[in-house]
Amino acid sequence: MSTPMVAMPSSRGEAFHSKNLGLSAQGWRANLSIAWAVFIARMRTIRRYKGFLIMEILLPTLFAALPILLGNAIAGSSKQAAANFQDHTKTASYVAYMIIGANVFMMVSGAMWNFGMWMRREQQTGTLESLLLSPASKAAILSGTALYISIRTSISFFIAFIFGCLAFGVPLEEIFAGNILLALIFIYIGMIPVYGLSFLFGALIMEIKEASSLVNLLQWVISLLMGIFFPITILPSWLQFVAKIFPPSWMNNDVRSSLLDLSYFMGSWYLDLAVLFAFCLILPMVGLWIFSRAEKHVKRNQGLGQF
Amino acid sequence: MATQQKTLQSQELGLSEPGFRQGLSTFRAQIKKQFIVMKRYPIAFITSFAMVFIILMVFILAATLFTPKGAGDDVGIKSGVIAGTMFYGFCLFMFTSDTFWTIGNSMRMEQYQGTLESLFLTPANKFTDLASRITIIVFWTGLNTVLALLLIDYIIADIPFANFETAIIVLLFTLLGTFGIGFFMAGLGIRLKESSELLANMLQFFVLILCAMFFPFSVLPEPVLVISRLIPLSYGVDLFRSTMMGFPSGYPELASTQTEWVIVVAFGIIMPIAGFLFYRWSVYRQRAKSGISDY
Repeated sequence: MSTPMVAMPSSRGEAFHSKNLGLSAQGWRANLSIAWAVFIARMRTIRRYKGFLIMEILLPTLFAALPILLGNAIAGSSKQAAANFQDHTKTASYVAYMIIGANVFMMVSGAMWNFGMWMRREQQTGTLESLLLSPASKAAILSGTALYISIRTSISFFIAFIFGCLAFGVPLEEIFAGNILLALIFIYIGMIPVYGLSFLFGALIMEIKEASSLVNLLQWVISLLMGIFFPITILPSWLQFVAKIFPPSWMNNDVRSSLLDLSYFMGSWYLDLAVLFAFCLILPMVGLWIFSRAEKHVKRNQGLGQF
Repeated sequence: MATQQKTLQSQELGLSEPGFRQGLSTFRAQIKKQFIVMKRYPIAFITSFAMVFIILMVFILAATLFTPKGAGDDVGIKSGVIAGTMFYGFCLFMFTSDTFWTIGNSMRMEQYQGTLESLFLTPANKFTDLASRITIIVFWTGLNTVLALLLIDYIIADIPFANFETAIIVLLFTLLGTFGIGFFMAGLGIRLKESSELLANMLQFFVLILCAMFFPFSVLPEPVLVISRLIPLSYGVDLFRSTMMGFPSGYPELASTQTEWVIVVAFGIIMPIAGFLFYRWSVYRQRAKSGISDY
């Protein structure tokens, strides 16, 4: 009877050590394991809520429908709407323009919302404190969450984009005539600073707790700054400046430019890409630093479990 | 103890006297509780105002792209009828969206925080508890609507403003119907738990399109218009904005004014009753099944 009792912890301990998961030896393999475990846990959770995935596919199309139908009402017909739109933006493909904007917005908003709401939910269900008090690396936990969010939003983005084009009868050849590879590069490079922003968002939620109203407001602020349904050049100059230090504005404009042959902010795609790279270097580090500071501050004061 | 009992009796709050005054007292206390909870989150005050402005800005900016360059003051988004259609529809959207979210969400919050079960175990009236959650919507969204009206009037155009008294009656019946949907959502929230948020979110977007809250019904494709005609709320939106704009040519769009009145009044009377009955049934069912504290 007693033999297995003694042998069990020893073999488990060995298994931990062999995976570098012991508390004393938190190497890169351990961090990778933690990130993977977080990713798997979140994937398992979302599998229970299939409706969320369906909504992520439908929502961008419903969202894009609003300016499209409003535009048709204002212009009097879809043909006149296209002509008026071309006068302002240099493209008559207003439906594709709106669908791209709505989908990029959903991707950005999804990254921030999923991260912020994940933290809030853990806080409300009482697991955030134990999660952040565990000796696991915070960067590994956040990376696992970021990996989950990027896979989830990417899948939704592609399905929603094709669904939107089909629903509004946008010929796919119109989209595929653009530089798809470049658009994909802009999407994936552009998402890296967005994760940095989502860490800032997480810090904010940790500090102010009942953040759902602020989250809602921020989503609309994001949509305004990134020019979800319009080029940011129509914003007042001070707001254009704010929009240009906000990475999703670049991502949105660059995806539109590569697919619809519009102009880039800096005149050419490689200069715009260089700016996005600069954001990639700065924002994740700043986000992580602020997140850690917020965590320490909350732990020192009322604790992470309070909501 | 004795003094407490006396106070309770003087307010008719004793359990043995469930009279009208006691009901009113409970209702007042429930409303007060909602306001106290709301006061705890001042950030929600500021954000709700700011959000209305930003939403309007996003759509106004999008709309300007469809207005011919160098157009006059009565063309495109600056046309009174288009601005009125968009704005009055948006007013109803604010109420609808808040109703879908607020009632169900506040019940869900109580479930998370563990106070829902104890609330249901008290002898307080369940209908007044549900109705008290509406007061926040009426108060805040009403205030937001007035501010949004001033903003639109200042930025875009002079919005047509006619038949105010009649339009308020239309609004009242439409809101009563919408609150009925809110009661349904609260019932569903108790049963569906996590998925109820998703449902509320989806529903508000479907309603936004199908009830043509941002644009005239005439731009909807025919198959979508068929579905719109099956939703009573569409008639509320149509009649409200037609009345506020003084029935311009082509308005109301879905049916004659008389027909729309009948539908809107029926919606306002039937929906809250049906919604509350569904809510009560959902609660009883859930309590018999697994209790309402599980989330």
